Amino acid sequence: MKRYAYFPGCASESTAKSATLANEFVFGRIGIDLVEIEDWNCCGATSAHTLSSALGLALPARPLARAEADWPELDVVTGCASCYARLKLANHRVRADKSERYMVEKIIGKPYEAKREVLNFLDILSDPAARANIGAALLRRFKNLKAACYYGCLNVRPAEITGAENRENPMAMDEIAALTGAEPVEWGFKTECCGAAHQNDAALEARPLAGRILDNARACGADVILTACPMCQLNLEMRQGEYIRKREEKRTGKARFPLLDMVLPPDPEQAIPVLSITELLAVAMGAGGRRLALDAHFVPVGRLIAGALGGRESEAIL
Amino acid sequence: MTDHETLARLMADADVRQYDCYQCGKCSGGCPMADAMDLKPRGVMRCAQIGSLGRILNSNTIWLCTGCGACADRCPHDVNVPALIEEARYEAARRGLGRHDSEVLNKAFVANIKAFGRNHEMLLAGLYNVLALKPIQDMASVPHMLKKNLIGIKPNRIGATREIAELIERAEKWDDPMVATGRSQTPEVKK
Repeated sequence: MKRYAYFPGCASESTAKSATLANEFVFGRIGIDLVEIEDWNCCGATSAHTLSSALGLALPARPLARAEADWPELDVVTGCASCYARLKLANHRVRADKSERYMVEKIIGKPYEAKREVLNFLDILSDPAARANIGAALLRRFKNLKAACYYGCLNVRPAEITGAENRENPMAMDEIAALTGAEPVEWGFKTECCGAAHQNDAALEARPLAGRILDNARACGADVILTACPMCQLNLEMRQGEYIRKREEKRTGKARFPLLDMVLPPDPEQAIPVLSITELLAVAMGAGGRRLALDAHFVPVGRLIAGALGGRESEAIL
Repeated sequence: MTDHETLARLMADADVRQYDCYQCGKCSGGCPMADAMDLKPRGVMRCAQIGSLGRILNSNTIWLCTGCGACADRCPHDVNVPALIEEARYEAARRGLGRHDSEVLNKAFVANIKAFGRNHEMLLAGLYNVLALKPIQDMASVPHMLKKNLIGIKPNRIGATREIAELIERAEKWDDPMVATGRSQTPEVKK
């Protein structure tokens, strides 16, 4: 059994509910043991470093130092691209620059040598042993399921920090998805930015970023978008109804009161479900819909699963 | 400090040399936010070359950059434009030029971590909507999130909130130039 120190990230406790349940299920099935870092704190995400560079390093360094003290032999893994970027950057800078290490240790009040690696879920699922275990754990096979794998920017960039070889057309998630029978599509927005927190603070300017990703996935024939980050997931899913409504308003010239989005789900003909890669794996490994809280998705996934698994089997899930 | 010296300091902190840029425009071409920026990434580099710090600090670019890194990744000369934009944002905030909603959100976010150690998404969104005067933004999603238990009133507070609050205070002081000048320039390296 392979073990990692686990940094869940704040979204795991709220909006990323179904992805978190799927993570537990999948890693349990493939013999990967995630040891949660004791009393971990928020990494600062996209906000802390925009205010203060010292804070942008110190916040992620604290849980890393804690992991290093408690589990010196374990690499750290996280399921969020933003956490990954911050943790990995802190690790990198502390290693590369003695004065940064001095600063970080002074601020967090703990020794921190950055001895171990920071990894994301795609890294640990792509490990050959893990991939063989995934293959052995699959109970269901998807048919006619075209998937657009969306990596998000911070899982691959900046290259000098992440070490990603291909930042324009990464393939790790495509290869994992293909194990379940899903057919990854070729598309252009694998690592385009979803807008991250700017979907909140610069909504007008950032909406097209998510919209272009959704449009390109549809244009390339995808039935589902797969994600490896709860922030990407939320931006592509929660605001999809609004995006479709605005697009329709533009097309037809008829406006609708925005809060009607509350009661009217996005048009199923136009909406595209968004799942995390671990949710796809969990369903293929036999997890039920209730166990994964699949009904928590903003864009309903029932039709997608029924289409990809056939009637009887999908009934067992939903 | 003159603008010229300030710009030189920002460039040094960002580890960017302005004449590495030969204005090919690949950065602006790939920037997902370029449409909305009044000074596109190539323009930021041009302003750095001609010493026009004011234009950079007053642009909306420094608040709209998402930090996705597409420009730096595609730059044929490895110019780290987002690092320069980040330094410019710090300088704009020091001069009190940061009035963008982005600053409101980021400050609310850090206040949130200071209080709970982790981010409380509902509180953050609520606080932001009030402070930025956008009462109905994203409200359409709230009933679904409450019903499915994706958000809730209860904060996910950690044990060490006091430690986190002190950490944040120390970090903010560290970045304060007034405090920084009083500190020894050559840090003692621990063994």
